[in-house]
Formats: sequence, structure tokens, C-alpha cells
Amino acid sequence: MDNKIKLTVSHAPFWHDGDSICKMNLHIMLAAMPAVIFGIVQFGMPALGVILLAVSSSMFFELIMNFATKRSLSTGDFDAALIGLLFGMMLPATTPWWVVVIGAFVAIVIGKQIYGGIGANPFNPVLVGVAILMVSWPGYFDSDAALLNYQFDFKALAPLAALKHQGVSAIDFFPIKTLIMGQQVGTIGTNFGLGLILGGIFLIIKGYIRWEITISYIAGIIITALIFNLSNSGSYAGPMFHLFSGYTLFGAIFLATENSSSPVNLIPMLIYGFLGGLMVILIRNLGAYPDGTVFAILLINLINPLIDYIRPKALGRGVNNA
Amino acid sequence: MIKRPFTGLSQPKLKYDSVESDPKGPETVLMPSNILLLLNDSLDSLRTSLIKKEDQVKKGEKLSLYTESTEYVISPVSGVIKKIESYPGEFGNIKTYLVIGTEENDDFVNDFEEHADKFELEAAAKLLKSLPGAPPFETLIDPTKKIHTLVISGVDEDLASTTRQYFLSTAPEDLKEGIKILQNLTKIPKIILTVPEGFNVEFEISGMQVFNISSFYPNALPEMIMKNQLKTTVPQGKTCEDIGVCFISSEAVVSIAKACRDKKVHFEKLVCVTGKDGVQKRIKTSIGTPVKSIFKHLNIHTNKNDRIVIGGPFKGFSVFTIYHPVQPCMDSIIVQDAGIIPFVSDSACINCGKCIKICPANIPVNLLVRQLEANLFEEAKETFDLESCIECGLCSYVCTAKIPIFQYIRLGKHELLKMKTETEKEGANG
Repeated sequence: MDNKIKLTVSHAPFWHDGDSICKMNLHIMLAAMPAVIFGIVQFGMPALGVILLAVSSSMFFELIMNFATKRSLSTGDFDAALIGLLFGMMLPATTPWWVVVIGAFVAIVIGKQIYGGIGANPFNPVLVGVAILMVSWPGYFDSDAALLNYQFDFKALAPLAALKHQGVSAIDFFPIKTLIMGQQVGTIGTNFGLGLILGGIFLIIKGYIRWEITISYIAGIIITALIFNLSNSGSYAGPMFHLFSGYTLFGAIFLATENSSSPVNLIPMLIYGFLGGLMVILIRNLGAYPDGTVFAILLINLINPLIDYIRPKALGRGVNNA
Repeated sequence: MIKRPFTGLSQPKLKYDSVESDPKGPETVLMPSNILLLLNDSLDSLRTSLIKKEDQVKKGEKLSLYTESTEYVISPVSGVIKKIESYPGEFGNIKTYLVIGTEENDDFVNDFEEHADKFELEAAAKLLKSLPGAPPFETLIDPTKKIHTLVISGVDEDLASTTRQYFLSTAPEDLKEGIKILQNLTKIPKIILTVPEGFNVEFEISGMQVFNISSFYPNALPEMIMKNQLKTTVPQGKTCEDIGVCFISSEAVVSIAKACRDKKVHFEKLVCVTGKDGVQKRIKTSIGTPVKSIFKHLNIHTNKNDRIVIGGPFKGFSVFTIYHPVQPCMDSIIVQDAGIIPFVSDSACINCGKCIKICPANIPVNLLVRQLEANLFEEAKETFDLESCIECGLCSYVCTAKIPIFQYIRLGKHELLKMKTETEKEGANG
């Protein structure tokens, strides 16, 4: 049995479906493109600058952490790029460069790498970055102030802030159609409802996000907002307004579905998504923040490990028919 | 290789290969001058073995290493033993291989002849274990198993093989005869024949039921047949045999029928070979023929870093040498070019949930793999259902992070077994 040829020996299975982390992240980035391009068209070069800075600084911090922790380079899986892109999409176009860099640092280093990198983060890294910025420099997240120098051919008011400060009468400024088409003051990549929905449908069909989370999150928004609206339509806006304004759709499609911080079993996914939607509306209607998406999703990230214990019984567990 | 479907919403459809309606007969691959036999027993330098280098062996001679060994092989040729050496198998399991140089003579030892008319299970276990198809006589004579159901598999368990279906559709008479022999021999009351969906069984035997098996992987695996057709769940850590159900391939049943009819054992094994181009061919060759001879016959060239898979793409194993011999249980061979071998990675689990969706045993694979990576085998067993795994390999197939999950699972089970035997040994020693 003299062996002249060295063969590859490895464990079964010998086939793979050809998927990879890199492919998955590129698909998610592709799905985000309609909203990003719309944002760049609407807000011009500053928006492009913010997006590019967010992506590049995220990749840079990932690289630094790879060296610092002496691990193999992981920028090639595009996870850091994706975090950067989503983070950039959540910022107003005029955000100063140092805010972007600090946010990217927090997202990558504190949100992802200190837990051990990809797959180990208990919270969505994008939201960790955004939440720290929101609490530290709330001024930069005030879209009305940030976009003061812009001229728009639609009502130049951030819809959720207007609702918070002016009451339900303010929603008359924002017909649903204009909201869906992105005709609203807000951040770079989260306004264009139609683009986000198209991206979401693409990801659901391709199986890169779990539809159960997106659908139950949207159901949570609609049902909770409807209950508030029906109980007192004078104080609370209707479900459609909530669905198409602020970070809602972006949260449902790109944030709540982040793999590592969300559950994987059916019932937990439904609970997780629904609670997310519920929390968003509770914070918007009863809390202090105009938009509750960031904190709502961080909260459901927190309960993820607990609810993911609800799972079907494994084959043969507790069976005793021997 | 079956790739991810364009839409990721539905599960990948892994359809079993089905045998053609009028199957082509196999090509015959001639035995080379040197053949190899694998013996599932390890060499012990402290004992003198029954067989040694330069010994003459006759065709049909039963070869085992030591007097008390239960493991044996039947030599398919007459000749001289040229080499006896160790052969490293999976998880440190050491086997022994013999190289026999064939010689032209008609000596034939036929131990089975005297038993052929009326034989007992014990005799069958001693003489017929290495028939093509590897009939599980050892399980059938095991007094601890209490087998009450015998399942004849007319369906192939893994993809890229139609061997069992071939016998089902081309040798119904032999199959019927074999089933009757087994019925008389084992006195097992319940006999089940599994066939692919839409297949009509032309014969009837009293006491035999026919089950149609779905044509998608992993529905033909024993544990899935137990769950879907027999409506019995195998408890964690147990096997189908432990709860009284024994599986036997259609080829083994046909081999038993032939052996009884001809009053001698035979060595011709049917193998499905999938070449690098993905074309599947059916060949017939003697047990002991190195796979190299098959490749030569089929014009398959193996180069550096290619992979030779014995068994299917999901449950098979890869070998390190092109001299690996054809064995009684080898239904298929796949040759993969170095360029298409998918990588595995040491990436962490990203929690995408694809394994959870595809796992037929409802195992929390995402959590299990974290325990196994950290060598927490007890924890994996108690909390994360390691022993529910039916070893279908689908989790590794769909894994986005390309983690070798199946390997981790097998390793975990192996380590647990090792721990168990060690504790038992300690207990026995006081």
C-alpha cells in the first residue's frame, strides 16, 4: 500500500451548499443599496462621505482588533463593512467626522470584538454604536437641526419629532405616500420605505434574514400602534404613520434580524419580533425619545438568550421505550 | 454537488438518486494480481497471529488474526499473503490489512456447503458475515438485542448510490427467496421492506409489510424510518437495534439467497462510482479489489489533493490511499477533484439558524456546537441533546460559517463513549 499520491482526507459531509459568511454579508449590503443610493441622491455628497467613513473606519477598527487580539484577519468576511454600512445609514448626512469615527469604534470594539468577534456579540453592534452616540451627543441625532441648511420640496420636519412635540395634528403634514417614497427629514439610509421593503423582500427570499422576526416585529408595531390609536386617536398616531417613519422599517429588516443577537427557534423568533415592535411603540407613545427603535431592539437583544430556551423537544429526549 | 437554492426560504431539496426504469447491468472490473483485505481487528505484537506473511491461503478460507477473535474475512482468492500491517481508521481505530498475491489454482474451501441446506444463525454469523451487503448476523444472534422487527432496505441511505434499489428492481425473486430464508432462520415476526416512492413490489410474503420511503434525504436513514414509518422514537443514546429493530440491505438479502442456492459464498460486490465529472457508473467487482483498479477501468485519474469518498456525500468517509479495498458494506464511491472540495473553517458560529431549521432531530445545533468547541461533552449531552443526533450531516452541509459540526458531534460522542468505558473499567477494578 505504498502511497504515492497525497489525497485529501476529511470528515463527512463532503458536500456543502456553497454559502459563506462573506456571501451572506454581501447580500445584506446589496439589499441595503436602494436605500443608501436614495439617501446619497437626496442628501448629496455629505451623505456619501458619512457612509464611506463609517464603512472604512469600521473595517479599520476590526483590523486593529485582529492585530491586538492576535487573531486571523476577519475584514474579508465583510461583517465589519456591513456593521459600518448599517451604522452610517442610521446617521444624518451632516454628522461630523469624529462622531462617525467614535461610533464606528464603539460598534466594532465595544459592540463586537470585546465579546470575541463575529457570532459572540449579545447586542447588535450597530445599535451599541448608535445608542452610545445618541446618549452622548443627542444634538447630532436631531434631524431637524442637522438638516437645517437643506432645501426640500416637502415638509422639512422629522416626522417622529414633530409627532412628539406637536401632537397628532402634525401627522397631517406627512401623507403615507410621501413617507414611503422617502420624502421625509431623517437619516441617510432609513427614510426610503419602498427601497427598504424591496431589500427586505430580497433578503427574505434569499433566506439571509429570518422572516419570522421581520414579520412579527412589523405585526408588533401595527397591533400596538392600532390599540393606542383606537383607545385615543387624539393623542396617538395610527399604525401606518409609525410603520413608515423613523427607523421602524430599517429596524425590522436590518437591525432586529442581526444573527448573533436574535433567537433561532420559531416561537422565540415570534415573541422576540413582536416584543420589539411593542417596545418601539411604547417608547414612542409613552417614553421620552421620539423614536424608540434603538433602545427597543437593544432590550429585545437582552431577552434573546432567555426566550431562545423555548425550543422543540429533540428526537428521543425523555423517551423510554427500550 | 447540490448548491444552495436561489431562494433560501425553502429547505434545500436533496433528492435521492433513483434507479433507472430498466437498469443497465454493471460493468465488471477484474481483480488485479494483488488484492487487499481489511480486517476489523488490530495486530498485537505480544501474541502470535494465526496468519502470517508468506502463508498460503485458499479461496473461501476464513482468515482471522487470533484464535479468540470474532472478526474475520473470507479470502476471495487463492494465493499467498504478501503483507500484514496496521491500517489506521477513524478516531484512532486500528484495523489490519492483508495483501494477498493471487495465484492461479482452483482450490476452494467451502465451509458453508455442509450448512447450506439447513443452517442456524450461529453458523451464518461465523460464515456469512462478509457476504456482499454485510448482513448483520452479529446483531441477530446478540441475546441482549431481542430483535422483533427486521427491515429490509430497498432504498439507499445516502445520495449518489442506487445499489440497494438496483437489487430491489432487478432481483425480486432472489429477494423474495432471501426474505423467506431470513424469516425461517430468525423467526422474527415482523418483516418490513422499504421501497422508494411509487415502486411496485411484485411479490408478496405473508407477514411482510411494504413501506414507501420519501425520495428526499434524510428520509431513508434508519432513525427517520423509525420515526416516520414505524412511529417509534429511538431514545437518546440508543440505537435502532437496542430497541429491537434491525436493518439489512437488499443486497445482503440477495447474497444470502444466492449463497444458499449455490451452496457457497460469493464475493461479487456491486458499487456505484461517481467520477469527477459527476457521472455515475455501476460496477461489479470482487471484494478486496483496490479502488485504484476500479478507477483504472473507468478511466478516472486521481491527482494530488483529490478526495476519495467511500459511501455517500453525507455519511461516507474519505480514505488516504487509492489502494483502499472494496468491502462488503461499500455501496458507493465518489471521487472529488481537489478544486471542488469545499473548505471548512475555524470560524465561530454566527447563529444564523440554518442548522436549526434543517435538523431532523430538533437539536439546538447552534448551542451544541459552542459546547463541543469548548470540549464540554457532558454538558452537550445533558442539556443540548448531543445523543439525539442521527448523524445525517445536514447541519454541516448548510453551515454558513463552514464549521465542521458533524465532525464535532462525532468527536463528542466518541469522547463520551471513551469516558464511559473508562469509568466502567475503574468500577470493575474496584
